[in-house]
Amino acid sequence: MILSLRQVKKYFPVRSGIFLQTTGWIRALEEIDLDIEEDKTIGVVGESGCGKTTLGKVVARILRPTSGKVEFLGEDVTGRVSKDVERKFRRNIQMVFQDPFNSLDPRMTIGEILSEPLEAHRVFSSKKEQDNYVKELLVKVGLYPEYLSRYPHEFSGGQRQRIAIARAIALTPKIVVCDEPTSALDVSVQNQIINLLQQIKTEYKISYLFISHNLDVVYHMSDKLFVMYLGNVVESGESREVFENPLHPYTRALMNSTPSWDPNQKRLQTVKLLGEPPNPINPPKGCPFSTRCTIRIERCDKEKPQLVGDEKHKVACILSEV
Amino acid sequence: MSILAVRNLKTYFKTPEGSVKAVDDISFDLKEKEILALVGESGCGKTVTVLTILGLVRGAQVYGSIKYKDYELTKFSETEYTRIRGRKISMIFQEPLSAFDPLYTIGQQMVEVVCAHLDCDKESAKNICIEMLKEVQIPFPEKRFDEYPHEMSGGMLQRVMIAMALVTKPDIIIADEPTTALDVTIQAQVLNLFKQLQEIYKTSIIFITHDFGVVAEVADRVHVMYAGKIVEKATVSALFANPLHPYTKSLLKSRIKKEFKNRTLPYIPGNVPLATDFPSGCRFHPRCDRALKICSQKEPPEICLNHSAVSCWLYVRGDEK
Ligand SMILES: Nc1ncnc2c1ncn2[C@@H]1O[C@H](COP(=O)(O)OP(=O)(O)OP(=O)(O)O)[C@@H](O)[C@H]1O
Ligand SMILES: Nc1ncnc2c1ncn2[C@@H]1O[C@H](COP(=O)(O)OP(=O)(O)OP(=O)(O)O)[C@@H](O)[C@H]1O
Ligand code: SF4
Ligand SMILES: [Mg+2]
Ligand SMILES: [Mg+2]
Repeated sequence: MILSLRQVKKYFPVRSGIFLQTTGWIRALEEIDLDIEEDKTIGVVGESGCGKTTLGKVVARILRPTSGKVEFLGEDVTGRVSKDVERKFRRNIQMVFQDPFNSLDPRMTIGEILSEPLEAHRVFSSKKEQDNYVKELLVKVGLYPEYLSRYPHEFSGGQRQRIAIARAIALTPKIVVCDEPTSALDVSVQNQIINLLQQIKTEYKISYLFISHNLDVVYHMSDKLFVMYLGNVVESGESREVFENPLHPYTRALMNSTPSWDPNQKRLQTVKLLGEPPNPINPPKGCPFSTRCTIRIERCDKEKPQLVGDEKHKVACILSEV
Repeated sequence: MSILAVRNLKTYFKTPEGSVKAVDDISFDLKEKEILALVGESGCGKTVTVLTILGLVRGAQVYGSIKYKDYELTKFSETEYTRIRGRKISMIFQEPLSAFDPLYTIGQQMVEVVCAHLDCDKESAKNICIEMLKEVQIPFPEKRFDEYPHEMSGGMLQRVMIAMALVTKPDIIIADEPTTALDVTIQAQVLNLFKQLQEIYKTSIIFITHDFGVVAEVADRVHVMYAGKIVEKATVSALFANPLHPYTKSLLKSRIKKEFKNRTLPYIPGNVPLATDFPSGCRFHPRCDRALKICSQKEPPEICLNHSAVSCWLYVRGDEK
C-alpha cells in the first residue's frame, strides 16, 4: 500500500458578517476510506461539487483533512511531519490539474518549469545531467527538445497538458493525481494524452487517482472505481464490475446520462433524475441522494446508509441492505 | 431564413510573436429557430468567432461582414452594440460561477439585467425574474432569488444564466461550452432544458462544444472548425452518418469504446498547429492520412454537396485541381 485514507473528512468554513465569523461548514468530504496500491489506477466520478478535487488535494497533501488519518508508506502523515518525510512525500505524489491554461507559470520557460522540481530535490549533481534528463522528459511526452526555451502560451491545450504531465513525472513519483486532465480537449487529443499516461504507467509503475466526468475515459483508465455524491462515496469496487453491474441509483443515472453520439438514438430525453443536488452546507439527514432518488423509501430520509460489501463491489444504499 | 449571416470573417490579433489569425475567413449562416453546433479543438477559434459577433474582441483587427437581420454588426458603434447585446443576442459562458458577481444575490443581478433592457420598475422586474427561474425549473424560485452565487451548485447557476439570457426574449443565444464543467446527469438536465426552451421561445442558438455526444443530442446542424477555418458544415444526421472531411472522420473514429480497454486509443498523429504559424495550403495537411500533393500548396475550396459542405481537395473534381 502506498497511501491510505481512513475516515477522512474535509470541512471548509463558511464565513459571513463583517467579522467573518464561521457560520457553518461546507462538508466537502465525509469519512472517506481510500487505499492506493502500487501500479493501480483508481477512477473517481461524481456530481460537480461532490468533492473530487478536494479528495485529490488531500491525497496530494495540498489540503489537510479536518479529521481522519492519512498514511503514506506506513507512516502517519495526517498533520505536520518531519522535513524528511515531507520531502519523500512531495517526491512521490504529484498532481495534474484540469485547466492546461492556468496550471503552468506563464513567466517560466518550459525548461525552467521542468527543472524546478529537479533542483528543489537536488536530483542531479551536474547541470548537464539535469539538462539531458529534461530533454529526455520532453521527448517522452511527445514534444521536442527545441521547445525548452519557449513559454507556455506558445503551446496548444494538449501540448500544455503534456508539459504538466512531464513535470508531474519528473521525479518518478509513485502516485499522480489527475484532476480532469482531458476535459478541455477534443477526443483525439484526449486519446493521445490517455495513451501517454498509460505508457508512463507501464514504464514507471505509477498509480493514478484519475478524476473525470467522462465515463468512457474512466472505464478505459481505471482498475477501481469510486462514485461520489455530496462528499460521500456511494459506490466503489473493481471498475469493470461496477460498470457492468451498477447498484446505486446515482451510478445508474450517471451511466444512463452519457450522450449517445448518435442523433437517431438520443438518450438524454429519457434521463429521469429529479431535482437538484442538495447544498453541502446543509446535507440531508438520511441518504445524501434521497432528495433526487426515484426509488427511495421512507427510511432513506432518516437513516444514512453505510458503504457495505466486499473489495470487489461496495454500495451505500438502504435498498441494497435489505 | 437566416437570422445571422457571417461572410469572410477574419479576426487577427497582433502579438509579439506575430499575427495570430484566430479566425481566418469563415462564412456561415445561423437559421431561424435552429441549434447550430460549433465544434473543434481547443484554440481553433470558436470563442473568438462568437466574441467577434458580439463585438467583444478587444485590440483585434476584424474584417468581413456580420449581418444580423438588416444590421451590419461590423459597422456598429459600442453604443449601438449595447442596444442588442444581452437584449437581442445573449451569451452564456462556460464557467457559470465566474459570470456572476459574488457580492450580489442572483436576484439583484437578474433585476439589473431586466431593468437595463426592458422598460419596467424593480417590482415587476422581480416578478419577471421569478417567472423565468420557474421556467428553467429552479425549485423554490422566491427563495433562490435572494441567494448568493456561491450558495448554488454549478448546474443550478448554469440554469440561472440561461434564465438571464432568456429573460429579454432574444433572437439569438450564444452558448460557449455551457455544460463542460458539469457532470453528465446535470448536463443532461441542462441540455434538455435548452431544447425545451428553444421550442417555446423559438430562439436561434449557437452552441459551442468539443463533445460530439452533446452535438448528437442537441444540434440541428454542425460546423467543424480546425485552425481558424470551418472545414465542414453539415446537418447533424449527415455528419454522423457520412462525415466528409478527414479531420471530422478521424474525430468520430476516436470515440473510446469498451473493447479498447488495455489497448492504445485511436488518435490523429501530430499536434494542433499554433495560431502564429499555420501550415500552408490545407491547414490539416501535415496530419492528414489522405493528403495529396496539392494539399500543402493551395488552400482547398469549399465544395457544396447535398446536406454538407466540405473544404478539402479530395472532393474537388480532377480537372479543377
Ligand atoms: N477552498 C474552499 N473553500 C470553501 N469551499 C470549498 C473550497 N474548495 C472546495 N469547496 C467546496 O467544497 C465542495 C467540493 O468541491 P470540489 O471542488 O472538491 O468538487 P468537485 O467534485 O471537484 O467538483 P467539480 O466537478 O465541479 O470540479 C464544493 O461545495 C465546493 O464549493
Ligand atoms: N486576445 C488575444 N490575443 C491573442 N491571441 C488570442 C487572443 N484571444 C484568443 N487568442 C488566440 O486565438 C486562438 C483561438 O482562441 P479561442 O479562444 O477562440 O479558441 P477556442 O476554440 O474557443 O478554444 P477552447 O476550446 O480552448 O475554448 C487561440 O490560439 C488563442 O490563443
Ligand atoms: S485538403 Fe488534403 S490535406 Fe486537407 S483534409 Fe483534404 S485531403 Fe487532407
Ligand atoms: Mg473539481
Ligand atoms: Mg473557447
